[in-house]
Amino acid sequence: MNDTITALRIAVPDTASTAGPVKIDIRDLDFYYGKSHALRDVSMAIPANSVTAIIGPSGCGKSTLLRTINRIYELYPDQYAAGSIAIDGRNILDRRYALSDLRRLVGMVFQKPTPFASSIRSNVAFGLSYYERLSRSEIDDRVEAALRQAALWDEVKDKLSHSALGLSGGQQQRLCIARTIAVRPQILLLDEATSALDPISTAKIEELIHELREQFTIVIVTHNMQQAARVSQHTAFFHLGELVEFGKTSEIFTNPHEQRTRDYITGRFG
Amino acid sequence: MNPTFAHEPELAAAPVARSGAGADRVFGLVTAGAAWLVLLLLGAAALSMAWGGRLAFETFGWRFVTSSEWDAVGGHFGAFVPIVGTLVTSAIALIVAVPVSIGIALFLTDIAPRWSRGPIAIAIELLAAIPSIIYGMWGLFVFAPFMAAHVEPWLSSKLGPLPLIGALFTGPPIGIGMLTAGIVLGIMVIPFISSIAREVFSAVPTALKESAIALGSTRWEILSRVTLPYTRSAIIGAIFLGLGRALGETMAVTFVLGNAHDLSISLLMPSNSIAAAIANEFTEADTDLYRSSLIALGFLLFVVTLVVLTIAKLLLLRVNRQLGRTH
Amino acid sequence: MAIPLRRRAADIAAFAFATFATAFGLVWLMWILWTTLIEGAKALTPALFMEMTPPPGSVGGLLNAFYGSAVMIFLGLIIGAPIGVAAGTFLAEQGRYSRLAAVVSFINDILLSAPSIVLGLFVYELVVRPSGHFSGYAGALALAMILLPVVVRTTDEALRLVPNQMREAAFALGMPRWRVTSQILYKSAMSAILTGILLGVARIAGETAPLLFTALNNQFWSANLNAPLANVPVVIFQYAMSPYDEWHELAWAGAFVLTLFVLLLNLLVRFLARRGASK
Repeated sequence: MNDTITALRIAVPDTASTAGPVKIDIRDLDFYYGKSHALRDVSMAIPANSVTAIIGPSGCGKSTLLRTINRIYELYPDQYAAGSIAIDGRNILDRRYALSDLRRLVGMVFQKPTPFASSIRSNVAFGLSYYERLSRSEIDDRVEAALRQAALWDEVKDKLSHSALGLSGGQQQRLCIARTIAVRPQILLLDEATSALDPISTAKIEELIHELREQFTIVIVTHNMQQAARVSQHTAFFHLGELVEFGKTSEIFTNPHEQRTRDYITGRFG
Repeated sequence: MNPTFAHEPELAAAPVARSGAGADRVFGLVTAGAAWLVLLLLGAAALSMAWGGRLAFETFGWRFVTSSEWDAVGGHFGAFVPIVGTLVTSAIALIVAVPVSIGIALFLTDIAPRWSRGPIAIAIELLAAIPSIIYGMWGLFVFAPFMAAHVEPWLSSKLGPLPLIGALFTGPPIGIGMLTAGIVLGIMVIPFISSIAREVFSAVPTALKESAIALGSTRWEILSRVTLPYTRSAIIGAIFLGLGRALGETMAVTFVLGNAHDLSISLLMPSNSIAAAIANEFTEADTDLYRSSLIALGFLLFVVTLVVLTIAKLLLLRVNRQLGRTH
Repeated sequence: MAIPLRRRAADIAAFAFATFATAFGLVWLMWILWTTLIEGAKALTPALFMEMTPPPGSVGGLLNAFYGSAVMIFLGLIIGAPIGVAAGTFLAEQGRYSRLAAVVSFINDILLSAPSIVLGLFVYELVVRPSGHFSGYAGALALAMILLPVVVRTTDEALRLVPNQMREAAFALGMPRWRVTSQILYKSAMSAILTGILLGVARIAGETAPLLFTALNNQFWSANLNAPLANVPVVIFQYAMSPYDEWHELAWAGAFVLTLFVLLLNLLVRFLARRGASK
């Protein structure tokens, strides 16, 4: 056990980030898939402008938690959530909170890259024309800005009108990230965003996350503990739908309080 | 504080986003409306048949189904001959199509070399693409004469004298008749049954087949003891589907059945089917009762095919669930 | 250990039967296509496409029939395809959560295999009887009703093939449902939807029975859709059943062109489907 923790300690940067103000305040959240109780009484405060990782074995509810933050679960009538999630003080689970406002505030990137069947430019500009009335040149500027932020600009600047389907897997995922940040959300949800990619693309995206956190509040779900240790400032460990432990990444990985956390980190299960 | 967003407009003032809800409702209504139209189509068709046939049903009552009279001049119409003709030709079609389809499915999933499976399967499915009127023409000009010259004389001389079944094969070899029509129908139905059979045969878990092979089973034993029992619902569903198609087939049968309103035991004799009767006589029907009788025939056909196809669909639905499809 | 003779014999018999069955099916296919080719080629002349259907016992062409068929197929397509795509969209997007969708899907599949003669009779009762005459419009309507279930089914399947995560990605960007469907889903599934429509066209091109009670036939050139309209299948039917040799020849020519059209469409559909799948 000590070997693993020692190994992880090397990966964790010593400079811990300050917790800062709370961006997403989750209180007493319960979630149901039909009759199955997937999230139990979860409460956690996700700090702004930092990266929070959610880890845990398969089926522990980490993706479920992410999907409540942008209410994407509402596409499926047999799924529902109870409790509150306050972003900047307003409960976004409230029926009166408009989905369109929420989706502009919160962006999501999925495990499998999902480029739309059109050009690179039109992929990135997709959300823009919907939320804002921009001129052609303004759109182009925003597209370029987003692609630069997603570290994809240099690779695609000469082929913006080519089909997005011609990009490699790693590039497509960065395109999805560019598409998501083009509408300037404040929160980014990454659901196992690097699981389907090769190590080099994964490293590029991790670098990206590191740069983006100054502007966005980022929540990532990952089954890769090393990634969580590398990239996040705070980590939440979930097991069987419950939040077991939440704290600074450096502490979770070197000196967890809960036995279950300890067991998971040292590979005893999951 | 995010410096980049300092001069962003307030979120609440994003008017473009709000118009989504109204358009969504319209879109939802349009698609749901189109779906309702499909239901409406079936219901309206059934109702209109019933309505159009009511004169005949009122005039003849139950005797419409049991009477074999068909007298246009005197105004007496009975559906018995067309009903029997439809059932007999469909039965012959299934007798031809079912074994052949299963054989084709076995061939394509087990025996044929892999490179040939695609092309052969496509060829068999082309049988379904050929319009039925082409089957009819070919049947009338090529197949019926062939039957009359080569097959029927042989049948009536070899099988005619036999007791019991002999009666099925007596009569002059004119080619046009229930047997010919049944065979043509059978050929038309083959692709429908065989494509379903092929799909479910290849969906049998290899683990099952391999356990049988490990026990030393032969190919036939695997088919009869493992594959067919496993795919039983699907095969029966496919047979019902084929039956549904055979019952309603019009043009192929119209050409080669003969449009004769006489009841006869022999398969070599011409007869009539519901669809063929309607197709042949509708434009000549000059009285309301005549027309109503034909529409009443159509109603009967519709109801029967509806029942048969429903059974087929129910059986196949269960299979789809087994195979893990979402619908 | 050798397999006992009885079992081996059964196995060989099964092998032989399966091979014979396949050959059986293929032989019929080739016989029918060969016949159509030979007989049709005999009557294939330029006149076919330039002259009208002739009176009994004379030669002529099928121009008015080709025109009438083309117009009715086109109209049937315009009426039936949009409704079919809309209904198919409903089934795919609401499929698992709507009772209506389940029922419609079931009914649609039954309509798909139902006898087309019944739909012809329906249109007769609906349009021809009240208006007192046969018409090309009625024919187009009947064809639209036959096309509809095909397009519903193929659109439903095409949309279901789009991965769910793509839907979710679009919704996560905040798009309303109608935009997700029209801008993302249709674009993604477009080739599959189009091939489905082509399949439907191949199906209605060969339909005869429903036209017998709706458009009937017209010996002369007519572009009037509000009157009986010439069309290929009914011409083939009437000419083939007649006692005149010249008419038989024309019937074969029509059969040849029709078969060629339908088979080419089918092969085109397969080709497009394979190309779409490999993308």
